[in-house]
Amino acid sequence: MTPLHLSYFMTFIISMTGFMLHRTSLISTLLCLEAMMLSLFIATSVCPIQLQTTSFMLNPMLILTFSACEASLGLSLLVASSRTHNPNNLQNLNLLQC
Amino acid sequence: MNPHANMIIMSSLILGPMITITSSHWVMAWVGLEINMLAIIPLTGQTTTTHEQFEASIKYFLTQAAASSLLLFSIINNVWNTGQFDITQPTNTLSSTMMTAALTMKLGLAPFHYWLPETLQGTTTMMTLILTTWQKLAPLTLLMMINQSLNTSLLVTLSLLSMMIGGWGGLNQTQLRKIMAFSSIAHLGWMTMILTLSTKLTLLTFYTYITLTTTMLLTIKLLETNKMSTAMTSWTKSPMLNATMMLNLMSLAGLPPLTGFMPKWLILQELTKNHMTIIAATSAILSLLSLFFYIRIAYYSTITLPPNMTNYSQQWRHKNQQKPYLPLMIITSSMLTPIMPTFMMIL
Repeated sequence: MTPLHLSYFMTFIISMTGFMLHRTSLISTLLCLEAMMLSLFIATSVCPIQLQTTSFMLNPMLILTFSACEASLGLSLLVASSRTHNPNNLQNLNLLQC
Repeated sequence: MNPHANMIIMSSLILGPMITITSSHWVMAWVGLEINMLAIIPLTGQTTTTHEQFEASIKYFLTQAAASSLLLFSIINNVWNTGQFDITQPTNTLSSTMMTAALTMKLGLAPFHYWLPETLQGTTTMMTLILTTWQKLAPLTLLMMINQSLNTSLLVTLSLLSMMIGGWGGLNQTQLRKIMAFSSIAHLGWMTMILTLSTKLTLLTFYTYITLTTTMLLTIKLLETNKMSTAMTSWTKSPMLNATMMLNLMSLAGLPPLTGFMPKWLILQELTKNHMTIIAATSAILSLLSLFFYIRIAYYSTITLPPNMTNYSQQWRHKNQQKPYLPLMIITSSMLTPIMPTFMMIL
């Protein structure tokens, strides 16, 4: 695995681990989601180095657009949560347990 | 909801899986899944003044967003390793395993099923219907398209685990939508069991499952019951619907000669043709667990009737909620087994 491949691979895995192990607030989860998408954007942007083509790829822009939409959706859910749950500590999502 | 927003959201909801199903480029498939997720999150959390709907939508959002990024990661890994974006070409092993993980997370198969009962419980009944039927279309289609590259033992393990969790998890539930969630997990287990062997049967199981689940959830919506305790007195609202609910539950359980038996029979036949007899026997035995909770609902709602047990009388004032397609769906969910050869020819 080339260093370039390894770099985005490890960035994604570390961000995903951060996404899964959130403790205090929902905001850290959303930040890690953004970091995952950013690492994937970088991976698609430097893809021509690996594939040894010089063509223009629309791919990174599509991914960037959709990750921005997703992040804004997450933030709107965060804002909506301040109505019903405690705005400071957003960890108690246990009303629907089995 | 605002009619303009509703229109945009509904059309995006229909457009998303359509893009995924008709795509041959991986990024287009991912885009379809993203549009689908963006459209359904506002629908699941429509009234955020209740606690439960917000929790259901945030859990749904986090799981689906993580699964989408994992899928995109495996797509990019595939591109780095093989240099092509085509869905129908074989993928390398790490990518196909990660794709399996991401798509099973989107579907709600075990061991990624933890979000499903709580999400289906927290939203309205119509949203439960959409989440269990329409949302399964796009990830299942992707799994079917890449079935040549998938690892059979991984999928068989995941599906046996799903059947176990769908069976054992539903045993202690009293909320009907959580029971439908565990039934969904078990049915998806049956669908992915046969995925690498015959995609025809996966498709047949999926269509049968959609019919049965739609009928059940529409019945639940019409009778306005959410718990087993209110299901016990649902005969006062509509005795006929109560009786057909029992038939529908038996069909979900897979009892012959109802429709739900047809896919199970064909799957067991296909498994034994491929010398996986022990797995076939295990899955047949595991479907007994879900049979128990279906029979429990049917018993308490339909089989215990006056003048024996309760002293309620039938309601004299009915709400005029007619769903004209419901009788057709009830017939489809009970009587389709004799025309099984037609399905085998068509699919």
